[in-house]
Amino acid sequence: MALEQIADRVVETDVLVMGGGIAGCPAAAKAAEHGLHVTLVEKAKTDRSGSAGQGIDHYGIFPREGLTPLELVRHWEHAQNFTNGGGQWGNPNLMYRYYDNGFWTLEELEKLSIPMRWDDGEYYWMPHRGPGMDPTVSYKLGLRVHWQNVKPLLAKAVRKKGVNILERTMVVDLLTNNGRVVGATAVNTRTGEFIVIKAKAVVLATGLFARCYDPETPLFWKYKFRYHWCPATISGDGWAVAYRAGAELANLDITGWGFRIRDDLNISFGNFPINDGVPSKPFDWRGEEVAYPTWQSASGYAGLEQKGQTPIYQSLEHLTDDWHKRIEVAFVDERLVSFKVAEDRGFNPRTHQYELMPNKPHNFVTVAGIATDDNFKASLKGLYAIGDCVAGFHSCGEAAFSGFLVGDSLHNLVSEAGEPVVDEAQVESQKKAALVPLAVKDGTEPMELECAIRYACERYVSQFKSEGKLHEGLRRLGSLRRVFLPRLMAKNPHYLMRALEVRNILDLAELHINACLERRETRGNHIRLDYPEIDPARDSMLAYQRLEGGKPVLEIRKAPELKPEYAKEGE
Amino acid sequence: MAGSMSGSNYEEKFEFPLWKLIKQRAEEKDISYVAASEEVVPEYVKTIRYRDTEFEDAVIQKRAREMAELVEREQTGKKS
Repeated sequence: MALEQIADRVVETDVLVMGGGIAGCPAAAKAAEHGLHVTLVEKAKTDRSGSAGQGIDHYGIFPREGLTPLELVRHWEHAQNFTNGGGQWGNPNLMYRYYDNGFWTLEELEKLSIPMRWDDGEYYWMPHRGPGMDPTVSYKLGLRVHWQNVKPLLAKAVRKKGVNILERTMVVDLLTNNGRVVGATAVNTRTGEFIVIKAKAVVLATGLFARCYDPETPLFWKYKFRYHWCPATISGDGWAVAYRAGAELANLDITGWGFRIRDDLNISFGNFPINDGVPSKPFDWRGEEVAYPTWQSASGYAGLEQKGQTPIYQSLEHLTDDWHKRIEVAFVDERLVSFKVAEDRGFNPRTHQYELMPNKPHNFVTVAGIATDDNFKASLKGLYAIGDCVAGFHSCGEAAFSGFLVGDSLHNLVSEAGEPVVDEAQVESQKKAALVPLAVKDGTEPMELECAIRYACERYVSQFKSEGKLHEGLRRLGSLRRVFLPRLMAKNPHYLMRALEVRNILDLAELHINACLERRETRGNHIRLDYPEIDPARDSMLAYQRLEGGKPVLEIRKAPELKPEYAKEGE
Repeated sequence: MAGSMSGSNYEEKFEFPLWKLIKQRAEEKDISYVAASEEVVPEYVKTIRYRDTEFEDAVIQKRAREMAELVEREQTGKKS
């Protein structure tokens, strides 16, 4: 059957960018600057979608104050080790390039009319932090920014460059032909229109993954957060479609560990003063101050719990009036809704404490994602990953850099690539699988299945892992896949998007558990009760996962090392 | 020490000074909170000592000293 008969619409483009955030918009704008025809697919509305939807209050790490990119890489390695235990959990070459191109990225953002300067027209470098803090932020290396409107500004810039934006459009799966990615299928989440997008290059920019665990904050969803770890966004769509197409993912055994706010009465007050240099004061429930950073590590928090000292609360009462005003401005820049949350609940940061999150995984923010080379190429031809989609890469500065870099380089690939040849049978198969939930009556709501997946991960994976629990978790997920996935129902195209998200979440949750099973050791925040020691054989080794001939493959391979040309800096 | 989050004073009404200004401006001009904040914040920022590095460093160092003392107290087993 001809493609036009299978799909409601066929879009032909040079570059398909999946995700319109801090990485996707720069990639799309830069590629369009080179004269390429670019299509950006965004499942929500680009002006306020995703992690940066409500804004961002600080940006980047720059090689300044006498620090070189290489020294920053060393700091990054130190920070990785603090979180994950000794080992190399990312790609130092990516980090080197990010630091080395910090000021280029800054200039590119300013060219897109993104405000990088403070109200007085100068850059405002965040204050030093006190000794003993994370060394990557102990210097004036990052910028405070007024980015409340960064998303509408980016969307405007992308439109101005002539990028074709398909909003309210959810990618179903990637299209492949002979090991090359040649486009994607998608559905419009308002009309249900089934779309085929033929592309010479595909860039994945959908952010990270988190929704197999309970979210960072149990705040009521009526507040409609568009925040870094917002449950409304981070379903790992880019990771999942990459995996199903045959690309490699890495580090799915390593989750981010929250020492964040576990409080339904307020939201992240604590992060903002840390950014402005003054850490909060943590207390146990009896009012005894707890030494920093005891409560920040899994083992530290577990120790406090065993001694009966939890819950742990943070206080900001020691801050000066000037700092409380800084927090207010940060609220405007990153989450204006914070004021409403606090006002609704009667929360006063000058006099009230808030509870810290029990230390447990709540996302994969630190190092997991799609494995790429130094140019953000994934393991399939024609496929790139940028921003939080990339294994070992995370934050808005890294997102913007990777977006600009890939957007700047795609014209070479596109000029060499032939016309994408799409396999109609693959399209038909993807369409059939994607649209099934629209025909199901009295089935399972997407959120019902998502909550069941979260329950399985919270109960059987979470902080203290063991082989028996992990196997049971896998069994539970298998049961959900067998019994409930086919019964997913979507009463309209919006719910079809939710159903597609849940399919992605389930795929990634299984990969997560399999990676945890394979890692038979305890290191950093990866705690295996049945393997309490470090396994030296896993030093600097990463878990890579991919689909090969329809079968899952998990390989433990050496992590990338810093290339000699970067390591010799300054010689 | 600040009051517990579960304390009775928790539900008392508190209004952030900046939020109050934003709401007032939005109401006066019948504009969104986002638009109002764009007008209000540049003025509010002028009341904050962002460029006073001496002041910033003093505040940060004071907190750093407190934290170091706490660690020392814990290590020596002394109570505050």
